[in-house]
Amino acid sequence: MADALFYVMAVAAVLAALGVVLAKNPMQCVLSLLVSFFALAVIYLLAGFQFLAAAQILVYAGAIMVLFLFVIMLLNLGSPGTEDPTDVRMFSRANATLMVVVAAAILFVLALAIRRAGPMPVENSLPEGGLDPIPGLAGEMFGRYLLPFEAISVLLLATAVAVVVLAKRDRRANEESKA
Amino acid sequence: MSTWEGFLIALVKTVVIFGTVVQVAALMTLAERKFSAWMQYRIGPNRVGPFGLLQPLADGVKFIFKEELTPDGANKWLFRAAPILAALPAMMTIAVIPFTPDIVIGGRNFGSLAVADLDVGILYILALGGLAIYGVILGGWASNSKYSLMGSLRASAQMISYELTLILTILAVVVMSGSLNLREIVESQPTVGHWHIWTQPLAFVMFVVATFAETNRHPFDFSECEPELVGGFHTEYSAMKWAMFYIGEYSAMTMMACLTVVLFLGGWSVPFWESAPWFVCLAAFLAKTSVFLFLFLWVRWSLPRFRFDQLMRLGWKVFLPLALINLLVTGALVSLF
Repeated sequence: MADALFYVMAVAAVLAALGVVLAKNPMQCVLSLLVSFFALAVIYLLAGFQFLAAAQILVYAGAIMVLFLFVIMLLNLGSPGTEDPTDVRMFSRANATLMVVVAAAILFVLALAIRRAGPMPVENSLPEGGLDPIPGLAGEMFGRYLLPFEAISVLLLATAVAVVVLAKRDRRANEESKA
Repeated sequence: MSTWEGFLIALVKTVVIFGTVVQVAALMTLAERKFSAWMQYRIGPNRVGPFGLLQPLADGVKFIFKEELTPDGANKWLFRAAPILAALPAMMTIAVIPFTPDIVIGGRNFGSLAVADLDVGILYILALGGLAIYGVILGGWASNSKYSLMGSLRASAQMISYELTLILTILAVVVMSGSLNLREIVESQPTVGHWHIWTQPLAFVMFVVATFAETNRHPFDFSECEPELVGGFHTEYSAMKWAMFYIGEYSAMTMMACLTVVLFLGGWSVPFWESAPWFVCLAAFLAKTSVFLFLFLWVRWSLPRFRFDQLMRLGWKVFLPLALINLLVTGALVSLF
């Protein structure tokens, strides 16, 4: 039963992910991404990570995807016949070849890294709490992995600051060009 | 206890809880009309059944027989899916609300009146509750109408803003009770003195205001603001599809009232009677929930609507910093004592 559900969800996740890149309408892309996130959340649940599943839906489906939809509606994308010509230029033959080469290179490096790393030490990676996921997870996250956790939050903060700086500079340049 | 018995008990609980929520949602539409009439010195619906009690039934029949219109250029598939998406999350999240302590009848323990007892109950509610917005957003977008789109845009901005406050205030309660499990949160406040409304008064006030914003209720109902947007996101909807949005709204209100009671008012705990039997506890829970449902109506018919920029300012510049400071202080105090 659980195995069957896993395969159904895995296939759904991959198909939806394909839909994200292949769909023409931006609305369909976002909805495909949503389906993909849900399938992933179910897979997390099957693996026994209730917290991760809930956080996945809460953060990605509940907040980030709403922002995506917000932008799409604000720019009124997705109405037929208004395709931006710059989008088409992005998919020229030369660019497509370049993308495939880069993707293949990344895949090669990843495969090499996974081969070098050897089998994952599964028995050590599970928290000692075992069946009580949240105290176990919190203990690991704010104990053994505190430094990476804080590093990631600093990285995210830096990204947010960078976006603000970039957006601001753009506006100032616009004002200067107007004046 | 055999598997079949367990299955049967779960089935009975599910039917009872789900049926009650739908009933409450239907009766709330009547209560809203009766109450607004009372506040405005009118009589309100009084023709269908005694005191107009059968009015929701008559409305339901009317909605089923009305013509369904789909506007030209609407995205048909999403237009149909949106009302379902709007009504479903509130009904799914009610599953983890524990209404009573363990029910014991004739020496047999049937467990708490709750469909599921999840360790991540609060997260489950937040995750699925956050999806209610998709019904509003997709419905407005798929309608292919300017009014609907404006309503959806407002709704999405509003929901994201107030979800932050909602989550941060809930986290303060979670820190106090040390669990994400709703049953354990209720058990952490056994007497009136332990209710989180006393230990977390600031969080309580912000949480209640945020529930109004999250359920799109007056004074924050900008997504359907009738003087500007006709009907907002549901302008183009008719018949049962339109009614589904309303069932969703009233179920969400019921759900939020239950959640407020669980988090801040001790859930099923009866004041000054700690060892109350389960049916008294259930009555206490329902009484407390009714108070908050009444509050939703009371506010709607007493206060004028906010302005959208005021709503955003309140959310980001007042509530978010206050909720963060509240959480910080709570965390510091809990870890110190």
